[in-house]
Amino acid sequence: MATVTEKERSELTHPDVRSYGEVNTDILQMLSRPGKAWWFLLGLSIAGIGLLAFSWGNQIINGIGLAGLNTPVGWGAYITTFVFWVGIAHSGTLISAILYLFRARWRQSIYRAAEAMTVFAVMTAGLFPLIHLGRVWHAYWLFPYPNQRMLWPNFKSPLVWDVFAVSTYFTVSSLFFLLGLIPDIAAARDQAKKGTLRQKFYSLTAFGWRGTDRQWHHFGKAYLYLAALATPLVLSVHSVVSWDFAMGIVPGWHATIFAPYFVAGAIFSGVAMVITILVPIRKVFGLESYLTTRHFDAMAKLCLVTGLIVFYAYLTEFFMAWYSAEDPERRVFWNRVFGHYWWATWIMLICNGLIPIMLWFKRVRHSIAALFVISIFINIGMWFERFVIIVTSLSHEFIPFAWNVYRPSVTEMGIVIGTFGWFFFWFLLFIRLFPPVAIAEIKEVLPPPMRPKKKEVGR
Amino acid sequence: MHDIHVPSDIQARYLPRRKAVSLIIGGFTLVGFLAFFALLASDPDRAWQAYVSNWLFFASVAQGAIMLGVATTITRAKWNWSVRRVSLSFGAFLPIAFLLLLPMLGLREDFFPWIEKMEYDEIVQKKEAYLNIPFLIARNIVLPLLLFGLSLMFIVLAIRPDLGPERARDEDGDPARARWRERIAGGWLGQEAEVERSWSRMSRLAPALALVYAFVMSVIAIDWAMSLEPHWFSMLFPAWFFMGAFWGGIALTVVAVVVLKKLAPDFDEAMGPQQLHDLGKLVFAFSIFWMYLVFSQYIVIWYAKLPWEQEWVIHRSDAEWGPLSIAMLVLCFAIPFVALLGRKPKLIPGWLGAIAFIALIGLWLERFILIAPSLHVSGTPTLTAWEPLIGLGFLGLFIGSARWFLQTFPVIQMWQPPKEPEMVERELPQDAELAPRV
Repeated sequence: MATVTEKERSELTHPDVRSYGEVNTDILQMLSRPGKAWWFLLGLSIAGIGLLAFSWGNQIINGIGLAGLNTPVGWGAYITTFVFWVGIAHSGTLISAILYLFRARWRQSIYRAAEAMTVFAVMTAGLFPLIHLGRVWHAYWLFPYPNQRMLWPNFKSPLVWDVFAVSTYFTVSSLFFLLGLIPDIAAARDQAKKGTLRQKFYSLTAFGWRGTDRQWHHFGKAYLYLAALATPLVLSVHSVVSWDFAMGIVPGWHATIFAPYFVAGAIFSGVAMVITILVPIRKVFGLESYLTTRHFDAMAKLCLVTGLIVFYAYLTEFFMAWYSAEDPERRVFWNRVFGHYWWATWIMLICNGLIPIMLWFKRVRHSIAALFVISIFINIGMWFERFVIIVTSLSHEFIPFAWNVYRPSVTEMGIVIGTFGWFFFWFLLFIRLFPPVAIAEIKEVLPPPMRPKKKEVGR
Repeated sequence: MHDIHVPSDIQARYLPRRKAVSLIIGGFTLVGFLAFFALLASDPDRAWQAYVSNWLFFASVAQGAIMLGVATTITRAKWNWSVRRVSLSFGAFLPIAFLLLLPMLGLREDFFPWIEKMEYDEIVQKKEAYLNIPFLIARNIVLPLLLFGLSLMFIVLAIRPDLGPERARDEDGDPARARWRERIAGGWLGQEAEVERSWSRMSRLAPALALVYAFVMSVIAIDWAMSLEPHWFSMLFPAWFFMGAFWGGIALTVVAVVVLKKLAPDFDEAMGPQQLHDLGKLVFAFSIFWMYLVFSQYIVIWYAKLPWEQEWVIHRSDAEWGPLSIAMLVLCFAIPFVALLGRKPKLIPGWLGAIAFIALIGLWLERFILIAPSLHVSGTPTLTAWEPLIGLGFLGLFIGSARWFLQTFPVIQMWQPPKEPEMVERELPQDAELAPRV
């Protein structure tokens, strides 16, 4: 197809991208001098990190008592936010691995940003077990290492499983991320000014990529294998996280559906976060022809599907709580909706169940602004979902004597807000250092450059 | 990433008819139902358990196969252009499944333990709002009617554009079948209009059908399997039940495709390596997913060790039922996992078909294990020759109805969905050039 007619062009994934060269210029211009908006956001993120450092430092010096945690609610905002960030980390690998295996072409434009988000979200989530430890200098006790006293962590504890699951996930998703970057880093290297620090950095990280057939062959194989390996990981990580709760016999936690329900919820929140992040990037860097309405439409559909699975799980939970005819079980769920934390539950139900209903409509899916707003609601709703699961259940266990109310302290809120600064700090650095849209893969879906037929040369 | 090639001139081909096959299918049905009535006279409890578990298996895989067609409609899949109709053909069993469901609604104390327990068991009494006979009968008539009805509607939409006026002249030697084609194509609007109408309605119906499927199958799972141990509950159980059914539908499609490939060179060519590879990947992936669900449910129950939860697992892992449960895990997970690793085994039709068949046997066993151990009286035999024998009756009707469908309607869907309208609708830039910049 030397000549692509306009009708054919409109059926392409990126109808407004006209040539290979254009892709390089458009994407690599993002790596050049940053604008004021970027510096402002970076400043804001660093302020967030400052807040995190201050709050956490204060807690380390003065003790975990600064957090609002007390019997019976020993897990509060920290674990809620831990699960929140692990959840966010899910869509990256879903988009890069599972959608790759399913041959969903629309992933090309978004997967790089989603993968980067995954890596940074796991890095953020990883802070929370440390924060929650209190005496953080004992963190290495989590790992099984040979020692002469034969002391091992309790392998039967889901918390230890978590250490393995999350660190494996971090390793594989980082590898996947870095591997996919290689050809694009090489493109950035070739365009960087000779002798600059940037050029040296890209030379190092491009691992000598020359784009030969042999290299592409190895690259393709490695990518496929990593995708196949990462797919079960996506499911396993959040399943293990869900078992932190489901293994306990706390009413409201002990549910067999937790594993798939958490995985669906994670993807739901992850895709919402991808939308939240990509909308401003698209605007600021003028990527309208790369991130088209079709991409947002597809992401919205993914949100809708996973949101429906989550909603199905809510309904099953409520029905089964009634059907179980167990008093504590029934009461916990009654208490969720009408008890002390009713507002949190209703935020969760409205943000995750009601608002995504709008995604059924094509007009909403095709409106970037609407999607942006909805995605923020989903993010809020998913944070509250974890809060509801953790706090309402713990505060209202079996014996009325032991019921109590938990309120997050200032320190906890500072740390929770601070981690957003930490996350966005890495993300902002990333979009300035590495091509945030996959150059090589977009070229795969563009019509290949061919010499135009003779009669058309004159046009 | 490559484009899937869909030929533009697909001929209307029907399943060849053979008397011998009809006789065998008829024989199966006869033997199966004779066995059922024979057992009904001697051991009615066992006969009904076998009946219900067979119904659950055949109804779920038929519905699951349709859901494969529905899911691939939602995702706008192109790879399954030649096997789409094959998955939908099992919809012909749905009306029969509904009729076969009706006698099950007459079951009382002998099948549902909660009826008796309602008198003295406090926990069961608290569930009375759900577990009562009038509601049970009402929801088991209305909900399957809704699910099966919508599925049939979907199938009619999918076959209609292939039944234009020229189909009536197809030489398949049976005027009754031509009449069916004419009836479904009544009020023909012309090929293009029909395709557009069907496609837009199917695109709308498919997501709705997926929601109805999840809901109705959940109710069926609770009513016919979970409530047989009235104290037991598991939130994952309904989802496990319908995801198993979906997987069964994929495996069923594979078996049917492999058989069809043997029957005619046209089918063999159209249902090529692309289709086999993709179907094989799906069987492989959903087998792992099935195991994931089984494990997710098991580990939570095992870890908590709550007496009312363990009971259900213990009934299925004791000396009597343990071996069968392990056999189920081997058939549903271990064999498909090992046998379908890598690309090559998925491309050998005989091998892939055999593995899918094994998986279906595993799923049949699973549906039996969901029911029988709950009602089993210790000391009596577990799985006997009766259950598969009664299953033959269902199998006969099942194959017979799908075969009728493929003999009456073209085996390979001839019309193709229009290119994504969303993309074509897209506004073109004002200064659009006709040729690309090179």
